[in-house]
Amino acid sequence: MDYTIATVAPIVLVPFFAFVINAFIVKKFTKFAVGLSVAAIFTSFLFALRIFLDFMNVYSVGYHIHKVFNWFDISAGETIFKVNMGIYIDNMTAIMLLMVTGAATIIHVFSTWYMHDDPRFGRFFVYLSLFSSAMLGLVLSENLLSVFIFWELMGFCSYSLIGFYYEKEGAGNASMKAFMTTRVGDVFFLLGIIAIWSVVGSVSFVDIYNAIAIGKFTGVYALGIPLATFAGFAVFLGTVGKSAQVPLQVWLPDAMWGPTPCSALIHAATMVAAGVYLSLRMFPLMELGHLTPLIAYIGAITAFGAATVALVQTDIKAVLAFSTISQLGYMVIGIGVGSYNASFMHLITHAVFKACLFLSAGSVIHSIHTQEMPQMGGLRHKLPYTFLAMLLCCFAIAGVPFFSGFVSKDRILGDALVLALSNPVYIPVALLGFAGALLTAFYMFRMLFLTFFGKPRDHHIYDHAHHEHLGWNSNIPLLILSIFTLGLFYSGSFTGQGEANLFGSRYEWFSTLVHKPDAKSLHHFAEYTSEEFGNTDTRIKEELPKAAYDGRHGLSEEEAHHVHFIHKMGAIMSVIIAFSGIFLAYLMYVKNAVNPGWWTDTFAGWTRALKGKYYFDDFYIGKLIKGILLPFNNFLAWFDMVVYDKYAIDGWEAVNRWAFTVSRWFDDAIVDSGMVDGTGASVRLMNVVMRTIQSGKIQLYFVVLIVVLASYVWSLSF
Amino acid sequence: MISLGSYLAISFFLFVCGIMVMIARKNIIAIFLGIELVLNASALNFAAYTKFVNHNLDGHIMSIFIIVTAAAEAAVGLGIVIRFFQLRESIHIDDAATLQN
Amino acid sequence: MFSDTLFLLSSALTLGGAFAVLYSKNLMHSCLYLLGSLFGVAGLYACIGADFLAATQLVVYAGGVVILMLFAIMLTGGASNKINKFGLKKIPGMGNFSTYMIAGVSAFVASLVVLKIIADVLKSQGPTNLVANEPTVFKLGVLLVTDHILAFEISSVLLLGALIGAAIISRPRREIHD
Repeated sequence: MDYTIATVAPIVLVPFFAFVINAFIVKKFTKFAVGLSVAAIFTSFLFALRIFLDFMNVYSVGYHIHKVFNWFDISAGETIFKVNMGIYIDNMTAIMLLMVTGAATIIHVFSTWYMHDDPRFGRFFVYLSLFSSAMLGLVLSENLLSVFIFWELMGFCSYSLIGFYYEKEGAGNASMKAFMTTRVGDVFFLLGIIAIWSVVGSVSFVDIYNAIAIGKFTGVYALGIPLATFAGFAVFLGTVGKSAQVPLQVWLPDAMWGPTPCSALIHAATMVAAGVYLSLRMFPLMELGHLTPLIAYIGAITAFGAATVALVQTDIKAVLAFSTISQLGYMVIGIGVGSYNASFMHLITHAVFKACLFLSAGSVIHSIHTQEMPQMGGLRHKLPYTFLAMLLCCFAIAGVPFFSGFVSKDRILGDALVLALSNPVYIPVALLGFAGALLTAFYMFRMLFLTFFGKPRDHHIYDHAHHEHLGWNSNIPLLILSIFTLGLFYSGSFTGQGEANLFGSRYEWFSTLVHKPDAKSLHHFAEYTSEEFGNTDTRIKEELPKAAYDGRHGLSEEEAHHVHFIHKMGAIMSVIIAFSGIFLAYLMYVKNAVNPGWWTDTFAGWTRALKGKYYFDDFYIGKLIKGILLPFNNFLAWFDMVVYDKYAIDGWEAVNRWAFTVSRWFDDAIVDSGMVDGTGASVRLMNVVMRTIQSGKIQLYFVVLIVVLASYVWSLSF
Repeated sequence: MISLGSYLAISFFLFVCGIMVMIARKNIIAIFLGIELVLNASALNFAAYTKFVNHNLDGHIMSIFIIVTAAAEAAVGLGIVIRFFQLRESIHIDDAATLQN
Repeated sequence: MFSDTLFLLSSALTLGGAFAVLYSKNLMHSCLYLLGSLFGVAGLYACIGADFLAATQLVVYAGGVVILMLFAIMLTGGASNKINKFGLKKIPGMGNFSTYMIAGVSAFVASLVVLKIIADVLKSQGPTNLVANEPTVFKLGVLLVTDHILAFEISSVLLLGALIGAAIISRPRREIHD
């Protein structure tokens, strides 16, 4: 397949045009608009599938496609600022495209069922189309500036969809909160882009890799710290805002005010993952800036803290929201410990099972019209398919073997363990990671048991729930997604560790294709910049022998053996932890052998802290906003009123008044009396003269005629 | 006695009288009278010159045309005067000084 | 002898009429004096053998123009008050002292110029050799339809236009309803 911008751009443009068209027709032709949105995202899915299959066919690490055209060029002299728009597709992009379009298609289809009775049925799809287009644009982006544009566009869609039920006050506030909180990260992200540009002179990924490879960042300092650190940290703060990491995680639980499919698409599968995706893209920069320990700590704190908060939540979507934060924390740990491809794999697997979990929760909510788990129970008899899907997803997220979560998460934890054993700095990271895994297994199965097992706790609600039947747009999407929670799709081996011998190493495709961009793989970026490959074919193929997959990642045999051993230990620990968590939940909520009330009573202070989500909201709103920002705001208002208004504006008014007096005098005396009236007077004078001549009295004309004629003839005669 | 000089003198006198009538009178019809006098003076001049100088009949032709023109002018002019009188009930020349209406 | 007598009478009538036209305070009278003056001019034409011109003068002026003027005078006369409803002067203004003074000055200027021109003519004129008068009608007729046919036709168009124009101008106008 010959790739040009024109053949790839439809992935983004088809949903975008669907958005544009739907925005106009959605009120009149709701059904058509919905169909158009679904068809558009499905078209994008087909395009993405084509690209994915092509990349799988080439099956090379270094293969990427890079096409650009010049968007604008505002270089001035020495300062170069030339921004290209274009596409950059490598293996990661291809996988991401398939995931995003696939998840989006399934969620679109599910939404046609879930949102069907909503009065703003059509508008929801308008936002979904715009969002899909923006997300795909971000994935395809060739440079940080266009990433930022799509990033903000997604932020807007998220804002609109969180506030979708704008009649509810909470929804409006939540949307504002989400927008403002992510804005903090976005400002830093933009700052990071500027910092990068100041060194590289371009914002293209390729140019950034190039600059890293040829060492442009060495010896560049900003405010006394290395610029790579500064820029990497700023970009990472963008990730923190978008992917809801500590300390900017507060918006994601509130984002659950939005409709459940939008939570599944935006706040679980794609948009929050975009932050991690960005960090993965900028990983060489973060590594160059020695930011990985910090990133690992932030991820670990997020992963563990969110998991603890999820323990006490009673709202089914809140549990999922905190679990999303927690899982995003694992991805960030993966970045921090250098477990690049596991982090990205976790992004993909998490997107699949978390989307499925959200859709299952949506199915439950749609059936019983409540989100409170204490009112549920025993629903597996009423909602068997949903239960099946959710069970598979819970296995996946808990890290049960043979499921995708096990494959990806355990690689992250295994790498963390390897690092912790060699570097004590990472010991807390590994501990928090494993503790979080235990809690994850526990709270997910707590949710599952509370919802689907036991006796119905609210008979009224239970009796009103309909038995579900297989429907092409209600539970078939869930079942499709739940199939992809099997680890088999992501790793040839069931355990996810080591090479697969089942179908040859080719099926260990994930770890073969996605590699940490180390110095070795960055070297070919040193050979070209985005400038040079403006419109030429930029396929760079580095044929990797398909059979000779190097499972040791370049380590010596002894080291590889050591690493392998630790990975195995980690995997065994993970399995034990997962099953113990599940068993604990089983004891508590199915067998009632352990009374949860005893725990909450014993650790009442902790429970309060957890229910208060560690008081982040109280701190931000009560202390930061009310304590600092509001007084500052009031001070500014006071300054505005008293100083600026009184002196600057009123003073300016006085100056103006004086100037006005002078100019009025000038106007009256000179312009008006002298010039305007003078003109009038002179015209009037001329008028008198001319009027006297032009009297209309014919005899006067005659006299004049005679006099003139006479003088003429007289003058002739001399 | 009948000579060019005497004819020229007579026509000169007619001409001066005509001019004075045209300027002195304020009555439109009276001004017409002056115009007729002036025209007659010129016609007489033509006739005299052709008689005493040229010895052909071209001056007569010119005089005839002058008479024709005078007749036409009198007809139209007096029509205008009548019309003006109908509109304004006046034949004073200064009442016809407005350039419109 | 006859022609001298005719010349003297005619010139006296002409000059006297012209002067009376200038002098008379009565419009009707001055119009009649004009008639006399025109008769004199006709006589003067006759003295230099312009028989056709003299006849035309009599027919056109005495028979046409002066009668027309008399009609006009009579149609526009008969005023009882001096100011009409438009605030215009209705009386036939026959001039006052100041207008006569202006007229005199103008005429003086004009006569100075005219005299300066005809002085040269009179000085260069040789002795008068009067040729015998002969009928001019036939020759004039031939000339009018041969050499001067264009002017003749144009004057006929002029007359027609004047006729139509006079008729249109002086016809009673319809009341304009608007």
